[in-house]
Amino acid sequence: MNITVAGIGMTKFGELWAASPRWLASEAVHRAIEDSGMEKKSIQGLFVANMLSGMLGMQGHLGALFAEELGLSGVPAYTVEGACASGGLAIHAGMMSILSGQYDTVLVLGVEKMTDHKPELVSSALMGAGSNEERLTGATFPGLYAMLARSHMEKYGTTEKQLAAVSVKNHFHASFNPLAQFTHPITIDTVLKSSCVADPLKLLDCSPVTDGAAAVILTKKVMRASSGVQIIASQIATDTLGLSGRKSLTELAATKIAAKKAFQQAGVEINDIDCAEVHDCFTIAEILAIEDIGFGNKGEVGPRMEKGVYTLGTAARVVVNSSGGLKGCGHPIGATGVKQIVEITNQLRGACGKRQVKNAKCGLAHNVGGTGATAVVHILKK
Amino acid sequence: MISPVKIWRNQQHFTKLIGKTGIIVSWTMIRVPPDGFSEQAPYPLAIVRLDDGTHVTAQVVDWDISQLHSKQKMITVLRRTIETTADGVIPYGIKVKPI
Amino acid sequence: MIGIVSYGTYIPKYRVCTEDIAAAWKKNPSEIIGALGVKEKTVPGVDEDAVTIALEAALQSLSYFQGKPSEIGALFVGSESHPYAVNPSSTIIGEFLGIGTAYLASDLEFACKAGTAGIQMVAGLLAAKHIAYGLAIGADTAQSRPHDALEYSSAAAGSAFLLGSSNILASLLSYTSYSSDTPDFWRRDGIRYPSHAGRFTGEPAYFAHVMGAAIKLFQKTKLRPEDFDYCVFHMPNGKFPREVAKRLGFSEKQLAPSLTVDRIGNPYSASSMMGMSAVLDVIKPNKKICMVSYGSGAGSDAFFWKTTQKLETVQKKRKQHKGMVCQQIENKTYIDYFGYLKQTHKL
Repeated sequence: MNITVAGIGMTKFGELWAASPRWLASEAVHRAIEDSGMEKKSIQGLFVANMLSGMLGMQGHLGALFAEELGLSGVPAYTVEGACASGGLAIHAGMMSILSGQYDTVLVLGVEKMTDHKPELVSSALMGAGSNEERLTGATFPGLYAMLARSHMEKYGTTEKQLAAVSVKNHFHASFNPLAQFTHPITIDTVLKSSCVADPLKLLDCSPVTDGAAAVILTKKVMRASSGVQIIASQIATDTLGLSGRKSLTELAATKIAAKKAFQQAGVEINDIDCAEVHDCFTIAEILAIEDIGFGNKGEVGPRMEKGVYTLGTAARVVVNSSGGLKGCGHPIGATGVKQIVEITNQLRGACGKRQVKNAKCGLAHNVGGTGATAVVHILKK
Repeated sequence: MISPVKIWRNQQHFTKLIGKTGIIVSWTMIRVPPDGFSEQAPYPLAIVRLDDGTHVTAQVVDWDISQLHSKQKMITVLRRTIETTADGVIPYGIKVKPI
Repeated sequence: MIGIVSYGTYIPKYRVCTEDIAAAWKKNPSEIIGALGVKEKTVPGVDEDAVTIALEAALQSLSYFQGKPSEIGALFVGSESHPYAVNPSSTIIGEFLGIGTAYLASDLEFACKAGTAGIQMVAGLLAAKHIAYGLAIGADTAQSRPHDALEYSSAAAGSAFLLGSSNILASLLSYTSYSSDTPDFWRRDGIRYPSHAGRFTGEPAYFAHVMGAAIKLFQKTKLRPEDFDYCVFHMPNGKFPREVAKRLGFSEKQLAPSLTVDRIGNPYSASSMMGMSAVLDVIKPNKKICMVSYGSGAGSDAFFWKTTQKLETVQKKRKQHKGMVCQQIENKTYIDYFGYLKQTHKL
């Protein structure tokens, strides 16, 4: 599998009150098309990643909507949804459509508008990613991940400080990302003092509510050498929808399985990865991701995080979430998985400026839906 | 208003889940509730392993702070769950209480 | 022979003290405790209602029952706080009990005696051999207007009697009922809080009907108060049951085991049945009990029960599982007046 990432683009992520979903999409796609140097009419398919438009905005049928908005009316288009993994899943769908032989070049667009509604409503809508049992108990995503955090802390001795270190790192990385939601570094103390959302997770352990869009053009055409970044693995795994069905509360089995399959498919090893965008919807989620993908052993990642093992400038090997991750860059649900591909592509092109990972040749993107019911792993190579 | 048909269909599963004992496997305190739970907040949420080996995720009721820890013995009870409109069918569901 | 085969009780965990309610309204607590005889009352959890409370009591009664829920042929739930004006609590409870579909279900309302009306109805069906077992439940999350006198006593609890014609632990040897149209306490449809007629709730209401039903029972059974071992009365406050027992000729000793009101307040439809359960928890076989309920509007149901050897098995189980009335009374957590307002949905 060698699909080229021909063009990438994204909007600023943040509370973009004046930006409509249509504006967000146009902005991201316009940048991607410009970046690709291709003509819009080469796009033969459109895959839209979005979770909340139907629930919050009463608008479905986004394939047709954005095809029209982007001046692509007539082009095959549909939405791919898998909660927070929608973006990664849409990339996968785009890739499969090319590998099927039906299309040469397709556009994958992830877009999410979250700030139009009050937080309680958004929180409830996000629970659409969980199980009915969880919704009926009054669970929230911070609550569900908090229980994963507690299990991890009880089994491995991971501390709240170590969790806070994830947030600090990602805000630090985001401070070098002009498109990130958060622009300033923060301290461990600030994280620990932030108000408790669901014990032990505090406000600054949780990714924010964000508007944003990201777009990627994938092609099997041979592109000019300077942007020769290819996706060499695309794997998905699922697990039980709700936490109560899981075999373990200290790992996300779907991540382990998808990552393993991806490494196999790509023919690369864990130590070949220079940069990784992982799904840090909550600080504990990044610790779990690093362990489950294999960048660290179970229980050892917390202490390593504190030592800066995954931080730009001090990383032992792989830099995790150079974009700022979900925590620092923001988490517009459907856009995140696509943004991860944008960031890794930029890294492999050497175009990340102050947050560039030196000599990045191989990268990984990890996107999760719900509390780990879906995991998508992509591996990219220059 | 929550669909009465959905409430009816869901409730059929609860009868056999009432009065089951188990232990807390993990828990948290929900301080920022979702829509429909503001009257009940803050409340603890727990994953409980029942004696038969299955797990439930449920709100904890009638608790004391000293009872919120792994391995605390719990029993399942029936209580009102999500708040609904004054004219809607009342949803009942499974919660857990320390014993 | 018809009687109680099993019984279950449920008292919510929360208590609010008369002292705290009085302090909120800048009243003298000792005056109120002196007048009403209630030190603290039960408060339901914010997610509890008459249905969940009735269910707990019913489940407990079934836990001591050797038969299957499907053998129950009738289920009557009496309450003043049915969650719905139209939609039976009894079938919600029946469904969660796993009774099946072959049973008569009905919701009853008669102020505080809706539960005991159910007992008489089940007794009739049993006597007609129409059913093998029937469940009569009295359960309430009683409401009262803040600052009203009733605020000190209106409480929450549930009591369930499983009645049958075999394996009886307390036989129902006789029963009477005394009814009239007496508007001492009422709540109009759609109105949130009940209203009452002050001192009119005493002589012409509570005392007239309780004594009326009791005297009819004495006449029917040809028994006198001293022939009974125990008595139980509806307990709207600490004073009325003590006063009516005295007037009817019962001693303090006969009344004592039933007096739950001082510790839990008045759980309306569950009151007299809870008092009866408290008595059953501690007495011996072959004891005679006179039980009289009262419901405003008004009426009283009087019962002559006699315990059997089978009582001891259930007593043991209740004690072992901390299900006795006195144990449930002790299983408590205090909340303040603000918590009470929150949990009874007044905020």
